[in-house]
Amino acid sequence: MTDRGTQTVSKAELDREFEDLYRAHLRDVYSYAYYRVGNHHDAEDVTEQAFLQAYRHFERARRESNGRPLRPWLIRIAHNLASNYHRDRSRRPVAALDAVEPPSHPHGTEQIVEGREELRMVIDRLDRLSDDRRDALIMRFALGMSNREIARALGRSDGATKVLLHRAIKQLEEEMERE
Amino acid sequence: MSEESQARLEALLSDALRPIEPPEDLVSRVEDTLTAITEQAAAELSSWAEEVSEDELDALRDPRNWVRPVAAVAAGTLAGGALVVVSMRRRRRPTGLRASAESVLRSVRPD
Repeated sequence: MTDRGTQTVSKAELDREFEDLYRAHLRDVYSYAYYRVGNHHDAEDVTEQAFLQAYRHFERARRESNGRPLRPWLIRIAHNLASNYHRDRSRRPVAALDAVEPPSHPHGTEQIVEGREELRMVIDRLDRLSDDRRDALIMRFALGMSNREIARALGRSDGATKVLLHRAIKQLEEEMERE
Repeated sequence: MSEESQARLEALLSDALRPIEPPEDLVSRVEDTLTAITEQAAAELSSWAEEVSEDELDALRDPRNWVRPVAAVAAGTLAGGALVVVSMRRRRRPTGLRASAESVLRSVRPD
């Protein structure tokens, strides 16, 4: 049993909560890892390591979160692991083109081809952004995280995160217009 | 940047950065890794217990020598916890039609 002031939580209860966390956010962590490292094999490694680290530090994170969602904490772990991955292997992420599929709603063939070209260009231009700007966009658009969640995951203030996202979108638009 | 062009770019980003479904075998891979950790920790604890001689037991009465046992107990606790997680996941993992239904539900459920 773990004494947390007025509340005592059993190890079994902690494990149940971790399992819920794992089930709820496996896709988020995997998606983030995939867009950071650019291939499924390494994304699996990063995801696996992220959840193992999370399991080791879950009790403390839960205690210090004061009831706030733990997704930003999980993504921060994946963020650090992905950064280590690039640092260790001196790689830049590969554009995740195999993840981009034609929209599911009906389109004419030309529109689909044109749409895919635009998506390809977006992915390509994303790679020209700085790491923090690209990460913020991945968190916002692939994971649907709020400004506050992104701020917690990146260890920034809410205001700084809002500016970061604004500048990332602005730069991306400029990069798109440059071609 | 006009509001219209920003909205268009954000729509493109949403389309380009779609969530990626993890491969089916990733779940079992994580479970296997957790199991390996628990088995390793349990084996370490077991071998340590077998190695303890009478002299070492005497030495253990000195609190200055309690670091190793405490570390072993901590490892054992972690191992036990991980085993619970793994066993719960195995017990709860649905198969067949129910698994397919849950997979579909997961794919359409908003985060």
